[in-house]
Amino acid sequence: MSLFSLRSYNPVVKVLAPVPAMVVSIGSRDLLTPAIFAAVALVMLLAFGRLSGRPLLGVLLGPIALVAVMTVSFGVWTDPAKVDDTSALFTLGPFTLWSGALETGLATGLRVTSVMLLALLAGLTTDGPDLVRSMITHLRMPYRIGYAGFAAIRFVPRFRSDLEVIRLAHRVRGVDGGRGVVPAGRRWAGYAVPLLAGAIRHGDRVSLAMEARGFGAHRTRTERRQVPLRARDAVLAAWLISLCYLVPYLSGVIR
Amino acid sequence: MRALLSLDGISVRHEIHDVGWGPARPRQVTAALHAGEVVLLLGPSGCGKSTLTLTVNGLIPQVIGSHMDGTVTVGGHDTRTTPVPRLAAEVAMVFQDPDAQIVTGTVLDEVCFGPENLLRPASDVISMAEQALRQVGLWDRRHDAPEHLSGGGRQRLAIACALALRTPVLVLDEPTANLDPAGVDEVFRTLREVTAGRDRAVLLVEHNLDAAIDLVDRVIVLDADGRVVLDGPARSTLADNADKLVELGVWLPAAALAALRLRTAGIVLDPLPLTPRELAAALDATPALPAPLQRASRAPVSQTAISVRGLSVLRGPAKVLDIADLDIGAGEFVAVVGSNGAGKTTLAQALAGVITARRGAVTVDGLDPATADPRLLAERVGFVFQNPEHQFITSRVDDELAYGLRVRGVPAEEIEARVGELLDRLGLRELSAVHPFLLSGGQKRRLSVGTALVTRPRVLVLDEPTFGQDRERAAELLTLLDALHADGTTVVVVSHDMTLVAEHATRVVVLGGGRVIADGPPEEIYADAELLATADLRPPPIAQAVRALTHHPGWHGLTRLADLPAVETSS
Repeated sequence: MSLFSLRSYNPVVKVLAPVPAMVVSIGSRDLLTPAIFAAVALVMLLAFGRLSGRPLLGVLLGPIALVAVMTVSFGVWTDPAKVDDTSALFTLGPFTLWSGALETGLATGLRVTSVMLLALLAGLTTDGPDLVRSMITHLRMPYRIGYAGFAAIRFVPRFRSDLEVIRLAHRVRGVDGGRGVVPAGRRWAGYAVPLLAGAIRHGDRVSLAMEARGFGAHRTRTERRQVPLRARDAVLAAWLISLCYLVPYLSGVIR
Repeated sequence: MRALLSLDGISVRHEIHDVGWGPARPRQVTAALHAGEVVLLLGPSGCGKSTLTLTVNGLIPQVIGSHMDGTVTVGGHDTRTTPVPRLAAEVAMVFQDPDAQIVTGTVLDEVCFGPENLLRPASDVISMAEQALRQVGLWDRRHDAPEHLSGGGRQRLAIACALALRTPVLVLDEPTANLDPAGVDEVFRTLREVTAGRDRAVLLVEHNLDAAIDLVDRVIVLDADGRVVLDGPARSTLADNADKLVELGVWLPAAALAALRLRTAGIVLDPLPLTPRELAAALDATPALPAPLQRASRAPVSQTAISVRGLSVLRGPAKVLDIADLDIGAGEFVAVVGSNGAGKTTLAQALAGVITARRGAVTVDGLDPATADPRLLAERVGFVFQNPEHQFITSRVDDELAYGLRVRGVPAEEIEARVGELLDRLGLRELSAVHPFLLSGGQKRRLSVGTALVTRPRVLVLDEPTFGQDRERAAELLTLLDALHADGTTVVVVSHDMTLVAEHATRVVVLGGGRVIADGPPEEIYADAELLATADLRPPPIAQAVRALTHHPGWHGLTRLADLPAVETSS
């Protein structure tokens, strides 16, 4: 696959290499550092993420919405005592909006957004099973844990439909108890028994079937799909780690 | 010739809650399977058939907590000491529930899973998977997600997964119990091809003898205590011991049951026919046959129990149900049939008010489920879900029955009287203090019917009540339904089980694509070959046999055992 597609890079590298950058971004106290991190991650996603449809829309609009919401809400909720040395933008009755509060909100919003975008470098360009395969190969994670995770994910839709039927069944029996937190809690407790009984039995059967098919016969298993670890992954890791020095330096220069 | 699988004095005891070790089921089983054999394991329910299959690859005693005596040797390995996953190279298993065997996200990955576990080189893995998938006819769908296959398709996938391991022994435990008729056909067609080479030993547990009989070479029969009572060539063992097998509680092929019934009327078919075709041939060879029994004509339906006018149900943009007009009379026993996705469960749920339809679309015993008080509705119509456990609310059998009355504020004495009466009727008196989840499958099913009956509804609707159960448990339930029907209850059953439909229903409603495509008595429905093909239905074995008769046209309309001439032994 193309060198210019993030999808062609090793999943473990994509998950782990942005972590130092996230730490630096969270630890920053200015506006520029997280903003540059966010911008770099956004550009990488747009240029090399091969996104389309809903993920693309989310990447374009999500950060803007997040920053806006956090700026406003922090602006309103920040303790005025901490920011009353900054300029007051306007006053509405007892409430005064301080520029310092908005700035705190903006910085927080930018930090959260930058971490989110750095995480999406892996999140939007990686196939779950490939990540597990790569973790088994490159992080020496025991394959039993990885495959237990696969199996667990496959349970989810089954539980959802089971729960739906159980709710119908209990309603038919006349379980109602009225509105409110306590009756609702009692109703859900009633769903838990059949749901768990079904889940445990299903889990048991799946694990028997897996063992019967040789799962756990050897310390390793054949992986047909090798997830490679290549020079390009080293370059990606080096780039992301170098950002930890470059970005704060750059923001210092600009300021 | 060395046996591929030998069982030597196998007894297994399971731990019983609060009691200790239960009785040995199976008990002292000794048998050997050789290459090329297809062996059917038979026995009444609870005799330990499934348990025995689990000893073959060491799941018992290594994984499932139980006490096993005796030795199982497979491919020279003792199953007690060789780890279960290692035995996957010797024995492959196919279980009852196709959904509980799927681990990965695509058909191809699924088949590769086993050989990968056994550390076969990647190139071998692919070629093994390809061969197995081609054998079951799923190679073209290798990139699909397993959940997009039909039930029969998923079970064929499970068979492919077993084949890909290229083991000398293949064990199948009730592989068709969870499938609709089309799925059963699919799986047996596949099994017939897979076993045609006679290159491995196959052990099969299957209650659908009509489908299995022409596939197997040998039968091993266990009695209710789990002992081997018969072991020999399939056809002669079944044909020569038919009476003994009936006595043991083993279900025979429908053709054999028909022949046994005819024998009481003085018509002796020898040798005993085992398939519809053999039954037809034997009957045609009989010069004269008495006229079939006339059904007791039912009193014409005078009252309407359920009426449907313009009922449509949408799921997303798709119309899953669209029924213009349907009336069900009081006292009818109606079977709702059709292929998967035809809307059967949706219709049943709408009739009983489990899902709400448009106001005025459904009237049940004078009430509109869309507007009626749910508690009042439950006194008119009871609904039994496919999985009994889903309905259980309390922690004792008697509380479970009483629940429906307590929420209605029925006086305590009356609750006690009604619950007591039901416990006796359902045969659950001794278990009244037991937790519903600790009952056996058949008992759970009876209790779930009981919870719907306790409010004495005049209409009872059941969704696939015999799904996943063996013949014996199904028969038990149907005896109960017949008794209710005889007392005047209107019964509506959604079912794939064509024998159930033919033997018990007074009327069959066939759904296709959410619409009623046929509606009539069973004998009329089963006579319409074109309809059967469209709706993906299989006529019951008796109907298949009599339709093939050339010399006795008077018998063509028969659909059930009860129509056959016989000297009624019971009152």
